[in-house]
Amino acid sequence: MKGSWILAALAAPVLLAGAAHPTPVVKLVEHADAIRQSLSGAQRFFMRSVTIGQNDLATIRKSVDYTPDNPDVQFYIGKSADGRDVGVVLFPQANTIHGPVEVALAMTPEGRIARVTVTRATVETKPWVEEAIASGFLDAMKGLSTTDNPASAVIPLKGKLGAMPYFEAEVIAAAVKRGLVVYGVLYKS
Amino acid sequence: MGLYRLRDCDFSVRLGAVLFLLMLGYAYVFAFFMVKTWSGLTPSAVAATYVPAPSMSESTMPMESQSSTQPLDLSTVPEMKHTVDTQLLVQDSHIHIMIYALVAALQVLIVFGLEWSAGFRNTIIVWAFGFGALDFAGQWLMNFGINGFAWLTIASGWGMALTYLIILLGTLRAVTRPASSREGGNVA
Repeated sequence: MKGSWILAALAAPVLLAGAAHPTPVVKLVEHADAIRQSLSGAQRFFMRSVTIGQNDLATIRKSVDYTPDNPDVQFYIGKSADGRDVGVVLFPQANTIHGPVEVALAMTPEGRIARVTVTRATVETKPWVEEAIASGFLDAMKGLSTTDNPASAVIPLKGKLGAMPYFEAEVIAAAVKRGLVVYGVLYKS
Repeated sequence: MGLYRLRDCDFSVRLGAVLFLLMLGYAYVFAFFMVKTWSGLTPSAVAATYVPAPSMSESTMPMESQSSTQPLDLSTVPEMKHTVDTQLLVQDSHIHIMIYALVAALQVLIVFGLEWSAGFRNTIIVWAFGFGALDFAGQWLMNFGINGFAWLTIASGWGMALTYLIILLGTLRAVTRPASSREGGNVA
């Protein structure tokens, strides 16, 4: 009997700290690593923080059915040692009932997609996201401009992926589309 | 009311009850680490997870966007703070509240056999179901922008753990006592 009280006493501090159980987000790639990998050749980095104005917000809403959660948007800029632009990275996100999916969207100085990397998923969605990524559809987005629709890279996957990996591919494309619009409207503002 | 006595039950019933509670405690240990990692243990950390960011007030926004550019040390790039939005909270609620109800129901089946007074027994039964409900009530109130209710979610987590410990101790006490027939009492 004494042993059972000791067992319970040992468990108490841990158990008493229990609270809400959030759906855990899984980091697939750290932001700093995504920036470094996406802007290979960059020697110097800068962060441009843009506070959205009413005119640009109206343009974003008109372009895509989306209102940013935060009025401040960050762009991570890479430059070579001689000051030449290498590219810019932003981290758009799309939320679903299965949790958020975040991507690192790297743009070339010419305003085309250089690389898309999925940086965040959830414990539930990670296998579906990884299956979608393994199909190679992210590479098909390279070269798209701000006026293109990244969902075009998902269409060929119809019938080749299961329902949930295909759904996650559509979510990733939606996040990329938001990023393209935000980049196109705000980065050159 | 035909409540039973756990200590008089077959060894298999007592074994099953104890192992269920120990497994539940095992899960709670990992629940602690999950909460610590993705939500936090303080009211401010919990509120930061569940209270939505203030919506943009267009009336106070400038007409034109404004930007500033700063040199960046990549080691200082801020990581995304995990937050739970309405869609995610709907999913969390439908899974967790159902599991809370099932766990509470199984705990209550054990409570029936612990020979507690009716008042104390009913209090623990209410706690077993109530704290789980209040846990998510706090989360939804925070989701509605009332960050002062982080304490309700944290206190509910404590309440669930306290309820578990009381039931665990009562169960261990019951299964280690001699059967009532050997004490000369009546078997229910």
